[in-house]
Amino acid sequence: MLFGRKNRKPIAIPAKKVKEWKYTTCNYCSTGCSIEIGLDEQQKIVTTRGHAGADVNRGKLCIKGILEHELFDSPGRGTEPLIRDKHFNPFEPTSWDHALDTTAEQIKHIQQKYGRDAFAIVSSGQLLTEEFYTLGKLARGVIGTNNYDGNTTLCMASAVSGYKRSFGADGPPGCYDDFEHTHCLIAFGSNLPEQHPIIYWRLKEALEKRHFPLIVVDPRVTMLAQFADIHLPITPGTDCVLINAMMHVIINEGLQDQSYIDAHTQGFDEVKALVQDYNPKQAQHVCGIDEDTIRNVARIYAKAPAAMSIWTMGINQSTHGSDGVVNINNLNMVTGNIGKPGGTSLSITGQCNAMGTREWSSCSGLPGYRYLENEADRNEIAEFWGIDPEFFPKQRGLSQTDIFAAIETGEIKGLWIVATNPMTSMPNTARIRKALEKLDFLVIQDVYQDVETNQYSHVYLPASVWAEKEGVHTNTERRVNLINNVMPPYKNAKPDFWIFNQMAKRFDNGQMVHFPETPEGAFEEMKYLSKGRLGNGQPRLLDISGMSYAKLEAAKGIQWPYREYEVGLKGSARLYSDGIFPTPSGKANLLPIAFYNNNEQPCQAYPFWLNSGRVVEHFHTRTRTGKIGNCNKFSPTAYMEMNPDAAQALGIEHQTYVRLTSRRGDAVVLVQLTQRVPRNMVFIPFHFHDCVNRLTLGLLDPHSRQPAFKQCTTRIEPICQAEAARINAERRTF
Amino acid sequence: MSRTTIEGATELVSPKDGDVGVYMPEKTTKAASNQPEVEQEQKGRSNHWEVRTQEQAYAYLPEPDPGNKSEIENRYGKRIDLVELTDNPAGRSLFINGNPEVGTNRDRNKQHGFFFTADNCIGCHACESACSEKNDNPAHLAFRSVGYVEGGSYPDYKRMNISMACNHCDDPVCLKGCPTRAYTKHAEYGAVLQDPETCFGCGYCTWVCPYNAPQLDPVQGRVSKCNMCVDRLEVGLKPACVSACVGNALDFGVIENTPENREQCKTSIPGFPSPEITQPNIRFQQTKSLPEEMSRTDDMPVKYRKGSDGQYKPVVDQKNGKKMHWNLPKLNSRENPLVLFTLLVQAALGTFIIPFSGALLGVESFKQFMASNLFLPLVLLSLGMTSMGLFMSVTHLGRPFRFYRGFNNLRYSPMSREGLGLALFSAFLGLTALLLAPSNIGVNTMLASLGLGLESELSSLVATLPLESVVVITGLLASASGLAGLYYMNQCYQIKARPFWNHWQTATSFVGNSLSLGAMVSGVVMLISLGVESLPLQGAMESYGAVFLVGLVIEAVGLWGHNRTLNRSEDEGGAAHYIQCTTFGKTYQLRNALLAVNILAASGLLIFGGFFEVSESLANQSIVDESVYLIVWASLSLINLVTVVIGRALFYNLVIPTTMPGAFFWKNKGFEQHARDIGLADNPATGVAPLAH
Repeated sequence: MLFGRKNRKPIAIPAKKVKEWKYTTCNYCSTGCSIEIGLDEQQKIVTTRGHAGADVNRGKLCIKGILEHELFDSPGRGTEPLIRDKHFNPFEPTSWDHALDTTAEQIKHIQQKYGRDAFAIVSSGQLLTEEFYTLGKLARGVIGTNNYDGNTTLCMASAVSGYKRSFGADGPPGCYDDFEHTHCLIAFGSNLPEQHPIIYWRLKEALEKRHFPLIVVDPRVTMLAQFADIHLPITPGTDCVLINAMMHVIINEGLQDQSYIDAHTQGFDEVKALVQDYNPKQAQHVCGIDEDTIRNVARIYAKAPAAMSIWTMGINQSTHGSDGVVNINNLNMVTGNIGKPGGTSLSITGQCNAMGTREWSSCSGLPGYRYLENEADRNEIAEFWGIDPEFFPKQRGLSQTDIFAAIETGEIKGLWIVATNPMTSMPNTARIRKALEKLDFLVIQDVYQDVETNQYSHVYLPASVWAEKEGVHTNTERRVNLINNVMPPYKNAKPDFWIFNQMAKRFDNGQMVHFPETPEGAFEEMKYLSKGRLGNGQPRLLDISGMSYAKLEAAKGIQWPYREYEVGLKGSARLYSDGIFPTPSGKANLLPIAFYNNNEQPCQAYPFWLNSGRVVEHFHTRTRTGKIGNCNKFSPTAYMEMNPDAAQALGIEHQTYVRLTSRRGDAVVLVQLTQRVPRNMVFIPFHFHDCVNRLTLGLLDPHSRQPAFKQCTTRIEPICQAEAARINAERRTF
Repeated sequence: MSRTTIEGATELVSPKDGDVGVYMPEKTTKAASNQPEVEQEQKGRSNHWEVRTQEQAYAYLPEPDPGNKSEIENRYGKRIDLVELTDNPAGRSLFINGNPEVGTNRDRNKQHGFFFTADNCIGCHACESACSEKNDNPAHLAFRSVGYVEGGSYPDYKRMNISMACNHCDDPVCLKGCPTRAYTKHAEYGAVLQDPETCFGCGYCTWVCPYNAPQLDPVQGRVSKCNMCVDRLEVGLKPACVSACVGNALDFGVIENTPENREQCKTSIPGFPSPEITQPNIRFQQTKSLPEEMSRTDDMPVKYRKGSDGQYKPVVDQKNGKKMHWNLPKLNSRENPLVLFTLLVQAALGTFIIPFSGALLGVESFKQFMASNLFLPLVLLSLGMTSMGLFMSVTHLGRPFRFYRGFNNLRYSPMSREGLGLALFSAFLGLTALLLAPSNIGVNTMLASLGLGLESELSSLVATLPLESVVVITGLLASASGLAGLYYMNQCYQIKARPFWNHWQTATSFVGNSLSLGAMVSGVVMLISLGVESLPLQGAMESYGAVFLVGLVIEAVGLWGHNRTLNRSEDEGGAAHYIQCTTFGKTYQLRNALLAVNILAASGLLIFGGFFEVSESLANQSIVDESVYLIVWASLSLINLVTVVIGRALFYNLVIPTTMPGAFFWKNKGFEQHARDIGLADNPATGVAPLAH
């Protein structure tokens, strides 16, 4: 008898002793999960939990969210502003005043000497929306540079561009609830279980209630591809061919929703004409998906009462990114799947507040989806901010990816980088390194002072993170959600909002333009600017005027549009349900997308496709998750998935190092042999510094200027194992 | 700025001060301050865990269903209602963290278990991180881990992730094996819980568990493990890992229940060790077809192949090719104390028991030796070696100062019994030494040198007491307890989860080494004794030579049998043997060759010695011949010493347990070692613990 011991041993289970739960939204990806932070009696953060009543995550969190509270006092955080006159000299701590004064002086100096646009600003998708709005006001209205953009160019620019081209405006028209209503879902280059586990769970819940065909287009056999009813292992970069071939089948078999096309779109004839060139018979040889499968998938999709497409970086990070998005939109318009429950064209966004920066940062124009190119927009904003409309440029300046090229050519002399790490995230690291080295003045504003880009800075401004601040995020389904300020900033770090406000005070225009003291004050300005009508007379879609911090917390997030007079706490689940689009004609554009192949292709010298992507335990350049042991341990160093058959031919063994070379540079990685990847492709997670982006080409999409991270080529070479191990250890300081 | 307030929101949200500085944290936003008031979700539930506001259905355990026939007996015939199985009253408190409240879960006396839908697991680590977050585990420790097996060929590739924690078995081998009684299988939920405060960090539970559930923390020097989240269970919530699952793969409930929306309830999936070992309380659904062969990405040379019955069985995966290596430095490992412990103790046993039993059996030279003054030093030597061995075993503990807890589980643990046997062996040896002392010339001379006249008192004492026969009794008791210790030492290694050890070869090795090492040590002492008294050495030498040879042969027979078994074995034992024949191939062959050479040489020497004796017995015995003879025996003994040290080091280093498949980094021993070698492990965020404690 194993029971019935007289003396049971005591049971001790760690008790968190939470005194108070505070509501926030996760600061990692764009899913927008509601998190409650638990504080003990001493107001110390002891735990987090998903908010069970939040519609987005319904209590669930992924690994990153579960452990997110450990990041506040992780190693490498910035404690004091730092300063130096040359990037090769050591930093010295300094006061905030001195750091900000120096930065302002340098900005003015560079602008006076080389022109206003010689100083550029690159921001992020990681800040809070009020901070984006304030930075936009600072950049456009006070400092006055046209070379101001966000790192969202690396992830969502193609989606933005594609939405604008198809529908006349940015903004994902669907929502997670569409999973509950759809009858067929195609995921293009989207690996939900790894990238967006909570969105995957919402999809899984829907599938368990009512199965519908799941079709996954991905050259890798991801978990989602494995679970799909039909997996299309496509040739990299040929999504447009596949979609055109599908539309060929749909249109030629008369499966299109002609009444929807006639009522709500324009350009059908051009598309119909173009897709005649994409007979599946020929298309199969380009995209690598056989004719029968193309026909089968096209028919399933077209015949479904409601069908939806989701996509992520597999589409966006391509030389055809914007075209890919437009073509997915085409597919959905042709089949009548826009703005209806279960029928949508939903980009799954990357960063927690990529949407916030798209909406309010003025990166691509002016706040609230306004355009520099539009005179009325310029006048409206200039009037509201209290500046001369002529201060604004009349056309958008350089995108983030072009800013680095302009540093190369000497057009840009000074740069302010906020919450992004181009030394790790940009393609072709060597080129970025060279560019940063050339700058007369670089200021880095980041949570971590060990962020790799900081090695080239002259001033470092330590920023607070997540719940050390207050403000809102917008998620993939346009849901605005609240982050409460839970704790004071770390040491002498400051909220980005405060930094922008202080910087504004140091410029002439900053004396004229009103900068509210609190994020909520900025939110009120955004609300005001979100009201009104578009040029075509339709009410603005990005309308948040009905929202307030109190409502956002009570509702656990509200989807825009949510107008002033709205009753209840439910925003708008979908856009364009009425079939009216924010184009001049009110109709959506069906645009013919011709395919041309400008990707670097595997060849004799570089025989492998190089693919990159995310792993679930890390976020972006690992500045946060690399410090949290219970995240980092699942991939503490860089690795490469490689096909065992290909490895055997080259004599490469599992769990040994290889050196990769490309036309840009080299990298050292540990080999993981798996049949998940085809023989002519390798896959490397992009999170690691001095790794895959030493190799990537990153050709830019002509519309979105987004780099094609996922389509370039590489060669695999042997390397001395001891030497490789040394290099690997050196490059993984965290 | 004014804030819009709305109905309903005002109660939840305390009013905010519009113009407060941005980084002032004192704003209260959630009404947790009115804690004394019981939230709606907590009503009718005990206070062991705070149920979340608006908790979702997935987090709650199903309500009890009295009509459920499947909840009477499990598939192994064991009652599921644990109160019926014990004399314990229902409604006892678990005293979690000293809390006397009784849980409100109405099923709390039923055996619970995990249900894993292998079809669904996406390997997202949510379960692992929820567990580590709840239990405050550092990166290098995890109560739950996800590994995977994969197979097929692109694009027909399948990966099956496996999330595994403790299975709270019907037959908890950890509980039985633990010498300190740190484990309790509770009549509440059937939870097998372990108390780290009792544990002394021997790690034996980590040896016997087939699922790698108990976690030995080298930093803290103690084991801890999955606690089934009994605090959550008490209020009717599923464990944290289950509630966190994002793939709808992990579930939990009364065992043998198939959860809603699931259609299978089986006990094995590829990569999961045989449920026969412990009758684990876990059930699976795995309906999707998998490739015939599923391999592991970690460095274990094991893969799984589908048998004709559809079940996946382990087979050896020749990951390192067939090349043979030395890898001698790898034999120097953290198991060194155990190599020394077992060898010292076995040598000590032989050292005492061989001459003692020889004398009892009436062999003349042994009788002379036992009566000689050098018998006492031999007993002391044996005692010293045993003590040294036990000391080595104590240094192997994570918490060495708790060594005395090692005898707490005599009822079940072979380790406790081994310890007791060896402790008694030492005690009786000490007693024997004490009784030998009065008649020992050395002791008497020492006493005389003190000049106190103690030596004469001692000799009168000796005259009155029947010390000689008492020495025989204590010697017999020492031998008996020593042999019992050796028996249980062998039993410690007869572990189903470690097939490399679970073989009679372990016994032959222990006995053979006792004989060969014992013959060596006691032979030296006895030959000195005979030499001092100028008695002929030949007979004693031959007797010891014979014992030595028997020891070698026993060991060799065991190794032959082991090799034979393992060559045919496809499980983890076969995999360990594959490592033995490749990674350590040259070392293994060297050991075997040395053993063979030794056996041949020793047999030759015995035969030649006999011939020598017969042919030259009439002639004067040559001192030169005798010393040559001695030198040869001494060399053979030294060769044997090398052989047994290599053999024992291989024994510990090669064993491959029936653990769960790991991932590429996490739970991959090969990567852990590499991270230590190149310095990645110096960063605690790598999650690889330093080995030393």
